[in-house]
Amino acid sequence: MDFNEVEQTEGLRLAWNAWPSSRLEATRLVVPFGVMCTPLHPLEGLHLLPYDPLLCKGCRAVLNPYCRVDYQAKIWVCQFCYQRNHFPASYHEISDRNMPAELFSQCSTVEYAISQPPNIGITSPTSVYGQHPGLVGAQGQGAPGQVGGPGFLFVVDTCMSAEDLQSLKSAISQILGLIPETALVGLVSFGSMVHVHELGYPDCPKAFVFRGDKEVSSQQVQEQLGLLGKTSQKGASLASARGGRGRFLLPLSECEFILTTALDELQPSSYPVPSGHRPRRATGAALAVAVGLMEGTMPNEGARIMTFVSGPATVGPGQIVETDLAKSIRTHQDLVNDRAPLYKKACKFYNQLAQRLVATCHALDLFACSLDQVGTAEAKVAVESTGGLMVLAETFDSDQFKKSLQKMFARDEEGNLRMCFNGSLEVITTREIKVCGAIGPCSSLNKKSVSVSEAEVGIGGTSAWKLCSLTNKTAVAVYFEVVNQHSNPIPSGTFFFIQFITQYQHGSGQVRLRVTTTARRWVDGAQIQELAAGFDQEAAAALMARLAVFKTENEEVFDILRWLDRMLIRVAAKFGDYQKEDPSSFRLSSNFSLYPQFMFHLRRSQFLQVFNNTPDETAFFRLMLNQEGVVGSLIMIQPTLFAYSFDGPPVPVLLDISSITPDRILLFDSYFYIVVHYGSTIAQWRKLGYQNDPSHENFKKLLEAPIGDAESLLEERIPLPKLIECDQHGSQARFLLAKLNPSVTHNSNQYGQGEVIFTDDVSLQVFVEHLQRLAVQGT
Amino acid sequence: MEAAVDASVLPRPTDDVEPTPSAWAANCHPRYLRLTSNSMPNAQSLVARWHLPLGAVVHPLAEAPPGEEVPVVNFGATSIVRCRRCRTYINAYVTFTDGGRRWRCNVCVLLNEVPVEYFCPLDVNGKRKDADERPELSQGSVEFVAPTEYMVRPPMPPVYFFLIDVSASAIRTGMLQTACETIKASLDKLPGYPRTQIGFITFDSALHFYNLKSTLTQPQMMVVAELDDPFLPMPDDLLVNLSESRAVVEALLDSLPAMFQNNLNVESALGPALKAAFMVMSQLGGKLLVFQSTLPSLGVGRLKLRGDDPRIYGTDKECNLRVTEEQFYKQMAADFSKYQIAVNVYAFAEKYTDLASLGTLPKYTGGQVLHYPGFQVQTHGEKFTYELGRDLTRETAWEAVMRIRCGKGIRFSTYHGHFMLRSSDLLALPAVDCDKAFAMQLTLEDTLLTSQTVYFQVAVLYTSSSGERRIRVHTMAAPVTAEIGEMYRSADVGAITSLMSRLAIEKSFTSKLEDSRQAGQSRLVRALREYKNLFAVQYRTTGRLIYPESLKLLPLYVLAINKSLALRGGFNEVSADGRSAAAFEMMTMPASRLLKYIYPSLYRIDDYLYQTAKAKADPVDLPAPLPLSAERLDPRGAYLYNDGLRFVLWVGKVVSPDFVGLLFGSEVAQSPDSSKAVVVEQDNDLSKRFIAVLNKLREKNTAVYQECLLVRQGEQPRESILLLQNLVEDRTIQPYG
Ligand SMILES: [Zn+2]
Ligand SMILES: [Zn+2]
Repeated sequence: MDFNEVEQTEGLRLAWNAWPSSRLEATRLVVPFGVMCTPLHPLEGLHLLPYDPLLCKGCRAVLNPYCRVDYQAKIWVCQFCYQRNHFPASYHEISDRNMPAELFSQCSTVEYAISQPPNIGITSPTSVYGQHPGLVGAQGQGAPGQVGGPGFLFVVDTCMSAEDLQSLKSAISQILGLIPETALVGLVSFGSMVHVHELGYPDCPKAFVFRGDKEVSSQQVQEQLGLLGKTSQKGASLASARGGRGRFLLPLSECEFILTTALDELQPSSYPVPSGHRPRRATGAALAVAVGLMEGTMPNEGARIMTFVSGPATVGPGQIVETDLAKSIRTHQDLVNDRAPLYKKACKFYNQLAQRLVATCHALDLFACSLDQVGTAEAKVAVESTGGLMVLAETFDSDQFKKSLQKMFARDEEGNLRMCFNGSLEVITTREIKVCGAIGPCSSLNKKSVSVSEAEVGIGGTSAWKLCSLTNKTAVAVYFEVVNQHSNPIPSGTFFFIQFITQYQHGSGQVRLRVTTTARRWVDGAQIQELAAGFDQEAAAALMARLAVFKTENEEVFDILRWLDRMLIRVAAKFGDYQKEDPSSFRLSSNFSLYPQFMFHLRRSQFLQVFNNTPDETAFFRLMLNQEGVVGSLIMIQPTLFAYSFDGPPVPVLLDISSITPDRILLFDSYFYIVVHYGSTIAQWRKLGYQNDPSHENFKKLLEAPIGDAESLLEERIPLPKLIECDQHGSQARFLLAKLNPSVTHNSNQYGQGEVIFTDDVSLQVFVEHLQRLAVQGT
Repeated sequence: MEAAVDASVLPRPTDDVEPTPSAWAANCHPRYLRLTSNSMPNAQSLVARWHLPLGAVVHPLAEAPPGEEVPVVNFGATSIVRCRRCRTYINAYVTFTDGGRRWRCNVCVLLNEVPVEYFCPLDVNGKRKDADERPELSQGSVEFVAPTEYMVRPPMPPVYFFLIDVSASAIRTGMLQTACETIKASLDKLPGYPRTQIGFITFDSALHFYNLKSTLTQPQMMVVAELDDPFLPMPDDLLVNLSESRAVVEALLDSLPAMFQNNLNVESALGPALKAAFMVMSQLGGKLLVFQSTLPSLGVGRLKLRGDDPRIYGTDKECNLRVTEEQFYKQMAADFSKYQIAVNVYAFAEKYTDLASLGTLPKYTGGQVLHYPGFQVQTHGEKFTYELGRDLTRETAWEAVMRIRCGKGIRFSTYHGHFMLRSSDLLALPAVDCDKAFAMQLTLEDTLLTSQTVYFQVAVLYTSSSGERRIRVHTMAAPVTAEIGEMYRSADVGAITSLMSRLAIEKSFTSKLEDSRQAGQSRLVRALREYKNLFAVQYRTTGRLIYPESLKLLPLYVLAINKSLALRGGFNEVSADGRSAAAFEMMTMPASRLLKYIYPSLYRIDDYLYQTAKAKADPVDLPAPLPLSAERLDPRGAYLYNDGLRFVLWVGKVVSPDFVGLLFGSEVAQSPDSSKAVVVEQDNDLSKRFIAVLNKLREKNTAVYQECLLVRQGEQPRESILLLQNLVEDRTIQPYG
């Protein structure tokens, strides 16, 4: 089975594509029953249906090709709850020769353009879909199913040099050209104080100012900004409660000039910074104010709070370090040893902020361009749970920042923004399975349906999750369990079903509902071969990686590594082919063959090994993994390495130190870094300029090939990876060396014979030998 | 009070009387310093028998007519010559000895060395040969240029900071518009170019700051709505150099009225706004002009309606309504004074704004209260414009301190006016100008004064608008007498009245109004009785009052003090704010203006105008002023009333409406309501003449702008409030007489 191909029709990757039919047997498979779901995966031939879906009156599942239909009686039976449903009058012409699109077998995934989102009531009364009051009063086009906005609130740090600020201002100005004219935009700037710019004020530039060293409640923010219809003591109405619309957030077309001027006039924070001190930067207060403004202005309408920071938060809520330069910014060691006094408080602040953002469905983006840490470790939760984007770069002048920002605003073929808002993902399952939870850039909607398992994995206790912002790449890992008792046999080969229902605000402003109904086979647990044939080791590795990273929130890394090892050994013991107690006899089928090395690299990855990184970097890596699909996740875990030489087209080579040779160019891709590594001979020729000599046309082409490939990799990623070109033995080569399998280290016998890596890590070979030895021991 | 004073027979001031300069040429002009008696008593017993207050009224920066300006003396690098012991500045009364090498201090008699650079030989009479060329050795008033030792920091630039109420009423009445226009029109005339600094905060329920950075093309507005803990939204550019930021400042003044034209906000966060202004100004100090249109309603310093419980009227607690009960204003005033900030409060509200509280700020910072009750730009705009313009452009002394020294055996014990007492005899005056006067009382320290002459020296150390440190010194000598009669003869009724009015007002802050009035009156009676006993035999009179020529107007003035707006009647007969405003005025007025204010002039004007309308000559000879009594008002006549703050034109019932029409226009003539009447020149000789008269009178009194109100006989309550109640000789309106 080509799992990649299946993903192209469903947007799903399941670790197991055939499930044992009893709970007991299921638990013996070790690797969880997870699904990597990319709700908005671009699908070939996806049907967009211009009407509302039909819902089962029993479980609210959507009519799908797997439903049994009685065309005579005009009745359909829900395969989840067996409820018989009558077709409504609009379907009266239905017959086996006149089927609606959603019943075609190739339409297991369809998308509906919903006419009346607030009334759809797809789920129970506490419905996720009913929580969109913002849609009712949405301004704008007036077409059914259309909403206004989206909104973009820029939150701009001014504690930086004039040059850096200039780069930032021009980057923002440039994206104003990419934002739809009808989108609402707003501006908050901050240094040691927070300025909320009133872009709707015609007479002169005007801003409301808040202290940076104090947390202000949403109520206070809205009161001070005059967003609440307040009645004065003397009974006169002071301001109509029109919120911040028209004052702080306006359609770009109406305020572009004022916004551009306001941006232009932003000056580096004028507060003097005493020597030996960091500037007073009130990032947390700025965000609290920004969130308050958005709560009062466009609750439950798609919006992003785009934050640009150039250094650590040093005052007020969310503070991560004091201004005194003698006090350094917390490291992982500090966190482990409980020497980061500000950390917990800041995390608590951002946790609360995250809850507020989720409640109003606004995404938080964080562009951190600084040589220092800025506090993304603390702020991560707010970005992650809202599906926001995090970019770490060194300056606002870097490509990494500028291009990442621009790419966010990419348009689709119809010219609509690719970013989507206000999403929710709901799962409906066959009775025999239940959903344990989800891990991804989402948050719980607390939907307690019959599909919800008692056992929680990730964000559990619910069958629906909110995605404040999502793109067609956003992937959520959903974990299931089989609850069918052994005593209730299910015939092997029959199907079970899972329906994924994603409602979201499309870039066109349309509210859409994508429904994917997937079917997989039940298999008798004894049929190991059949189960193994359905194993998707890549999906499994990605799902395990998410689980491992999720565990880092609460568990020690050491324990997580041991857990990973145990799980791997059990997988090997169950699915390996071996003679007991004979490690040399150990073999794995091709479906499992790569799984051990995925785990090997996961153990060594930046997601679990933190001490070479700052807490901010670790937070960033984990956040990225948590929203990436299977393919991307695997590159993050186990980078790819291609060799370019005169011998022929580029070939994948082992991620091993032995792959470095003087006459090769290596293209290394770890998702976050792309390294073009020139072997020493190539490097020398390049230095001598052979590529400019027409007689060495081939060399020129050899040099161009990896660069071209690297650029196409850069093209598809947000944020932009860091591109490094380096020569063998050059200092920049460390980015490559750090990731290569240490088959030859200073500890090994071959020391002195070639490239070595100075590390005490075990090599993949040693690791696999260990695994084989342990797997054959039996338990 | 016994009916000892029969007003009808009292002498009256015939016209504005200025005190005559002393016969002692080396004395300063009395416009700067007036003693209540030009002969000093030599014994305490004499003071007790005199009964009247012994003291002085100082008007240190009084405007001098052209040619009489105070000469400036620059010692250059040499220090200013002063007595080593008592720090008296060298003056015309010191004596030189030892061939000119030493000088004797006239105040403490210490013999001082003459600095080498200041040496000059003496002539045969022992007088320095250069005495006549040196103002400090020949004149009573000089101004020294102070060297750096008189500075604790570089001299500050003139700073004008505006705190402007922009709540609904400030817009509706046109206050904001007028204020902005006036400030803009005054920019060229602000003293201190090119160092002058300027800044603005506007406020309603929030504070609005303005970034006036010179590189901006238009101001940036920053709103701070956090009232519990107000803060500055930026560290710089809220207070800017006017010449550098001129364009931005003008842009702000042009746009402020439009920015708030639809403001419906009725709240006033004055207290937080004051704190914010303090934060902006505390670096430099300067002048803070507060424009307040309503009762402060939000944040610290919030004020409530007081005096709505009539049960406390007439009780010991009543006086609390005449001072502030809000600690905030006292604390703020202390802070302002400490950081060299002088506060002027412009109050515009129609209803109660608790001026007693607001006025605390000017009171302790050398400032001033300007009251425009029920301000409407149509009627009061001109007055406000003039007075704000004068406030902004008159010569002002910055970061000043004033001390008055006097000879041995006598000392100043109490001070009365707008200032903060920094030590026992040092008055802190963050800003002081030509319109402010101060009064003080003297006490004899020893039982007997042994010297023949007592010397007084007023010294004001200040920073001029040009950035020079200066010391203005006024020196005066007075003979010592052992005779009570001499004291009476040398009495200065203007100074006495000025001092007595201040004492009465201060007493009203702690006592019932009646007690305040009684105190002055019984003092007068005791003094007159003393005088009568002295001369009863000589004059052979028993029942009649007798008084020295010098004090012939005192009974009338004491009566007038008691009938002044600040002190008259019961609590409710004058609005609380009106009473406060009058009290603040009287506490700062120089003596001459005070006399006019408490005993205004009343002229019959209709005949005069008709007779002189054709004449093109200056309107010099107004008819003699009439006694201030309603009996004098002939229904066939029109009368001009002038109290130095405004004019009231009273028109009798029988006067033809044409008269009003000629002066105010036909519309006013036909309307029974005179409250909106404004004097605008009409196309007729009568009108032109009338305006010429008003302008002539205004020229004599530049401190304020006297608007001219029209009131018709029988038009109540205007007639009472504007005129009848002020006719001090009518006993009907003074039930407590
Ligand atoms: Zn159903
Ligand atoms: Zn002396």
